[in-house]
Parts: sequence; structure tokens; C-alpha cells
Amino acid sequence: MVRLGELERRVMDIVWARFGCELTGRDVAGQLPGYAYTTVLTVLTRLENKGLVRHQRDGPVHHYSSTASRESYIASLMHDALDVSSDRGAALVRFAETVSPAEADVLRRALDHPGPAQPSRRR
Amino acid sequence: MTAAAWLAIIAVMMFGPIGPVLARADWPRRAPRAAVVLWQALGISGALAAIGFGLSITVAPMHSGMLAGTARLTRQALAGRPLQNLGISGALGLTLATDVCIVLLVGLATTGLCTTYARSRHRRLLDLVSRPIDQAPDVLLLDDPRVAAYCLPGLRPRIVVSAGTLELLGDEQLGAVLAHERGHARGRHGIVMLPFASMDTLLRWMPYVRHARTEVAALLEMAADDFAAKESHPRHLAGALVEMASSGTAPSCALAATTTAVSTRVVRLLSPRRTSQATATWALVASAATVLVPFSALLTAVTTTR
Repeated sequence: MVRLGELERRVMDIVWARFGCELTGRDVAGQLPGYAYTTVLTVLTRLENKGLVRHQRDGPVHHYSSTASRESYIASLMHDALDVSSDRGAALVRFAETVSPAEADVLRRALDHPGPAQPSRRR
Repeated sequence: MTAAAWLAIIAVMMFGPIGPVLARADWPRRAPRAAVVLWQALGISGALAAIGFGLSITVAPMHSGMLAGTARLTRQALAGRPLQNLGISGALGLTLATDVCIVLLVGLATTGLCTTYARSRHRRLLDLVSRPIDQAPDVLLLDDPRVAAYCLPGLRPRIVVSAGTLELLGDEQLGAVLAHERGHARGRHGIVMLPFASMDTLLRWMPYVRHARTEVAALLEMAADDFAAKESHPRHLAGALVEMASSGTAPSCALAATTTAVSTRVVRLLSPRRTSQATATWALVASAATVLVPFSALLTAVTTTR
């Protein structure tokens, strides 16, 4: 049995692959062989509670679609990662900030013309 | 001199001039992890001294020594009359002691909750939209052309790189960057930063607090650099740092201080004497002494009965 988080990811992959279109629960379940229709509906409801999916009723049929594209979620994560000033950004430990082009040239020269070769310690 | 005066001097020293002096020193770069411990020790020592000072002023009018005085104060407070027989100075002392505790605890709790919320929100989305990379299954890929690599702290820390980073770096440089991020994850640097970040919002007027956050953040980067330098050649990491810092996709509003931090780290990685065990040992001895100083003053206050 796959973890629920993993199943949520696969359902979102299906919904995102058809971004802008509406899918019924059967459409989604049809692309996930091995999972019961009711399980897929439960996952869709969970995703709706998390704000990732919305649905419209058309008589007895529910049509599901994603609230935003996959790219826009990636962009918001990158915003966290690149934003130096905000508290949301402060929650992460980033690799490097920026340097000016002039400073980068100085640093590159330092890298290209090393002093005495230094072997890595404990190797 | 009375114990109260000593405690006051210790608190002022720890939160006042010592922080800026430590921030200007060069030696912390040779022992970044031990230097972080010293920054922690300064904060603990200053807070203990400030609380101890407040308490010793409070119990002074009771003429019964620190220990008996504190016991009597507790009994009074439990009976609903905390300020009885304290006088003005005693009341002010009690206010100081409790205020220090409240500000520190409330600050830590709010920052802790906000950070945890921001991280769990980021993690939920990350787990939906990222994929493990081929080179390392513990590293998540964000499909974005901009350059970013980071560690999302937590119970199970996530290490994340963007597609732009994979494009920019060679295999050896990428390996070094990933090792650096694993250093952050392994060292639980997210938790280490938390108290410093929490003081920053309320107590920024103190010289110690103003310097501690930026200094400790820079020292933790160096500590992660040292971790990576054990797994790959320091030159690969230095190269990756220059490439990523000059890739031009990061925001232009970056502070001057962080710009120097990148140069400092590159120069440090290229230096043959990057770390010094002797410096680290001295820093740890100094940290222990720093925490012991207010304890010894408190002990004097406890054993002296007037």
C-alpha cells in the first residue's frame, strides 16, 4: 500500500497534466489502476480541503480541476527560496546570496590562480 | 561589591560591548562551530545574570539572603501577595526578572510557531511538485530555470535544488553543494538559528542581538562548508559558490553584508589553514567560562546571608 502522501502526489500529477480542464472522479481513477474509486474520491476531497483542487457539481457528477498550475506552485516555492528579506524566506537555509559581476571576476581569478595546491583533508 | 552589582555588570557586558568585539574578530572563521557555541554562551550568561540581578534586588529588603529570600518570595506570590514588603526597588527588580523571562520565552514561542508553520506549508507543496534527482535520491528537484539550492529544516530535512542549478554546475560542484546542504541538515542548523532569530524581533536595540543573528548565520554557512570540504575538494565548493552567487537570478536587493559573506567563504575555502583545532578548543573553554561567571556570582549571592 502506497502512503497517502504519495497517492496525493499521483492524483495531483493527473489533475495538473490536464490543467484548465475538468476531470470526473472516474477519469482520475481510470488513470490509477489498482486503486478503488472511493479511495480516489477521498484523496480528491482531501486535496480540496487543502485548497489544491476545486470541484463543480453537474447533476450527480462532480467535476474536479486544480486551483492553480503546477508551475505557479513551483514559482511560489522558488520565491521562498530566493527571497532574502521576508520571514517566509528566513525559514529556509539558503546556499548563497548574490555578488556583483566585478566581485565575481575577482573571485574567479582567485580560483583560477591557486596558491600552493591543497589536498582535501581526510580523504 | 555585592553580588547584585556583579550580576548587573555581567549582564551589561554580555549584551553590550562583547558582541560587537566578537563580531569584528577574525578567529571565529577558523573555528565556526565553536564560535557559534560562544555566541550561545554569551546569550545564556547575559540572560542568567539579568534574571539573577532582578531577583537579588527583589530579595534584598528581606535581609535573609538570596535562597531564603527567593523561598519567601515564592510563598508570598503563591499566597497572592507577591509585592508585600518589597518596596520600590524590590518591585522593580521582580519586574525586571519576570520581564526578561517573559520576553525570551514569548519571543521563542512565537518565532518557533511562525517558522514551523512556514516550513510545513513549504514542505506540503514541495512534496507535491518535486521529484528526487537521478544523482541522489535524497535530493529533491524543483523544475525552475532560476538558480537555487537550499535545506528545508525539520524532523526529516529536505534538500532541494532547482533545474537551473543542475544546468549551471558540473558534477563535482553539484556534489559539493549537496554535501554543504547535508551539513546544514546534519547539524540541525535550523534549530540553532531559532533563538537568535527570535531575539531579533524584540531586542534588536541590544548590541549583542544586533550582531548575533548575522554572525551566527555566517558561521553556520562556514560550518556547512567545512562539512562539505570533508566529502569533496574545497575548490569545487568555492567554484560552485562563485557560479551560483554570480548567476544573476537571485534578487538584486541582497545586502552588502551577504555579499562579503560569499567572498569571505570563497577565500576561506581556498586557504590552506581553513580550520584550527586549537582555536576551537580555546573558544569552547571560553564558552564554558562565560556561562560559569554568572553562576559563580549567583552562588556568592546564595551563600552570603546578610
